[in-house]
Amino acid sequence: MKAHARLTACFDGSRTVLRELRSMAPLSLVPRRDTGPEAVVHLVNSATAPLGGDNLRLTIQVGAGAVLHVVAVAATLVLPGPHGTPSTSLVELDVADGGSLEYLPGPVIVTAGANHTAELRGDIAGHLHARETLVLGRDGERPGRLTTTQHLTRGPVPLLRQTLTVGDPELDASIAHLAGHRVMATALMIGEASRAPASGRWWSRTALAAGGTLATSLAPDVVTAQARLEAATSA
Amino acid sequence: MRVEHGHGHGHHHQVDFDPTATAPDHHDATPHAGRAYRIGIGGPVGSGKTALTAALCRALGDELELAVVTNDIYTTEDADFLRKAGVLAPERIEAVQTGACPHTAIRDDITANLDAVERLEEKFPGLDLVIIESGGDNLTAVFSRGLADSQIFVVDVAGGDKVPRKGGPGVTTADLLVINKTDIAHLVGADMTVMTSDAHRMRGDLPVIAQSLVDTPDAPAVAAWVRSLLPTRTR
Amino acid sequence: MDLAALIIADSRFPGGGHVHSGGIEEAVVRKLVVSERDLPAFLLSRLRTAGALAATFAAAAAHATTREVRSGHWRRLDAEFDARTPSQAQRAASRAQGRGTARAGRVAWPSPALSDLLGECPRPHHPIVLGVLVGVPHDAAMAAAYLAVSGPASAAVRLLGLDPFQVNAVVARLAEPMREVCAHAADVAGHDPATLPAPSSPGLDLFAEAHAAQHEEEVRLFAS
Repeated sequence: MKAHARLTACFDGSRTVLRELRSMAPLSLVPRRDTGPEAVVHLVNSATAPLGGDNLRLTIQVGAGAVLHVVAVAATLVLPGPHGTPSTSLVELDVADGGSLEYLPGPVIVTAGANHTAELRGDIAGHLHARETLVLGRDGERPGRLTTTQHLTRGPVPLLRQTLTVGDPELDASIAHLAGHRVMATALMIGEASRAPASGRWWSRTALAAGGTLATSLAPDVVTAQARLEAATSA
Repeated sequence: MRVEHGHGHGHHHQVDFDPTATAPDHHDATPHAGRAYRIGIGGPVGSGKTALTAALCRALGDELELAVVTNDIYTTEDADFLRKAGVLAPERIEAVQTGACPHTAIRDDITANLDAVERLEEKFPGLDLVIIESGGDNLTAVFSRGLADSQIFVVDVAGGDKVPRKGGPGVTTADLLVINKTDIAHLVGADMTVMTSDAHRMRGDLPVIAQSLVDTPDAPAVAAWVRSLLPTRTR
Repeated sequence: MDLAALIIADSRFPGGGHVHSGGIEEAVVRKLVVSERDLPAFLLSRLRTAGALAATFAAAAAHATTREVRSGHWRRLDAEFDARTPSQAQRAASRAQGRGTARAGRVAWPSPALSDLLGECPRPHHPIVLGVLVGVPHDAAMAAAYLAVSGPASAAVRLLGLDPFQVNAVVARLAEPMREVCAHAADVAGHDPATLPAPSSPGLDLFAEAHAAQHEEEVRLFAS
């Protein structure tokens, strides 16, 4: 399945309006009503996507002055295709100077046999708060393969470029990767003053070189990972 | 107290700094305008290196712009001692991590110490003197000439009166040998006559100072020796 | 392999590498690495993440010395390495080693490329200055990848008193993955810096931050 969903938020002088809202199965964008000057859109994935063979793409644009929240309602299960066919997903973010985007996709669960490549690309002149939660397999399940990449820039300035490949049992358990944990959660804040580094046993918060803050937590389960991420962002 | 100076021991203060020169900054040990004179203080654990450093800070702190680099093995004990002793403002003390190899950090790979010295020079542009105190080590540990312009090796009477006789590069080649804690020589059965005459025999014309920081807390003889090394200042 | 690469990869090279443990001190403090048996996984994962990143940028910097690069290229490469190193503690460790390597390099291998690099980036990242000094992409990748594992291996010997023969053998067994990492680094060395690979190491980054923070409370023997 090939799909490209689009969402464009602009500021009309008093509130954020959704100039473009194009869902395409399996990616559904559901706007919430009565959210005041800010816009809230729920991201609803069909239960069986992405599936091997799928190529999914989501483009979000936020204009100057607009404030948009994109919030997933559930976790995403990354599933294998019939013949081990790989799947891809691409999320493109474009936040203009003076615009603000909160992008909160649900946890991504890499199920056994999956072979998925996920990419997040963003040109962020304004403000971005993005979270990512990665889960290696359902409870007790060995994960399939996932390569996840983040490319975030501010115009020509690179802010964050990271690729993580999971699904190699030797590396997944290693200290360099997830140090034996099943879940990694990150929170990225761009466009606000960088915050001083802080760390706990399994979480850390660090300042990016070109501005921005990245918080990371590792944990055996999603609830703990999110609690640790909370500690990292609020410390 | 005995003070014996040898002949001039090679401390020429060549001023060859040319700000327009494009030649590589090769960090040789030749002191030049714009950089502080560096004295290394080495010697075995417990011989009184930190006490001597504190004494020199007391003796010279009013007349010189002074800073200290410490190289502890397992703690920041020495830096903390100096900070608590109140002989020097805490920001004038830098502690270096030596990767569990204190002699490497002062001799074979002096990078971390040079970085610390340069940090101090950047913070205090008019710095006259940097004292680099080594982590307690064995009798073979000497400072690289690329790090220290002159070096003092400190032994104490409690280490046994045969220490000077054992020699080693510290005892035989340091620009100054200090025999510390002469006030307790009788308690530990050390024969000062044997110690000093052995020291002179091993060192030829190089100077030896036997002292007690209990009797003379400001180490006047060592302070005088240090003064004699510094270029005439025009302040 | 050229002599410069061998010298820079030698643990006796006076570039300040011996005070960095590559995260293994933190792992030792947490008792996650306690014996020779824990080393292969640690070193392999470091090689394929932080080591691969270092090899990539060393090769890219070496490649840039062999072609005409426009003014500003070194700053761009520096910014791209920064973007691939989210941990502030890791960036500080890389720049400290870069500065030390540059200090030694200016004496041993002065060159117009080195002057250009240091003109644009006075405190260069370690792999970039290493690449400029070595000048041959594959050799530079090998030196960088090797240092990414030899430093922590040597730190483990010092911290835990491990059997040096066993530890040496563990490093030797990394030959095949190291070949792969370096071949890939050399393959992409001439690419636009923005498109260079960006292998991440979230665990090592987390440890590096903890190491730096812990040093304020209880002392660490290594700078990173």
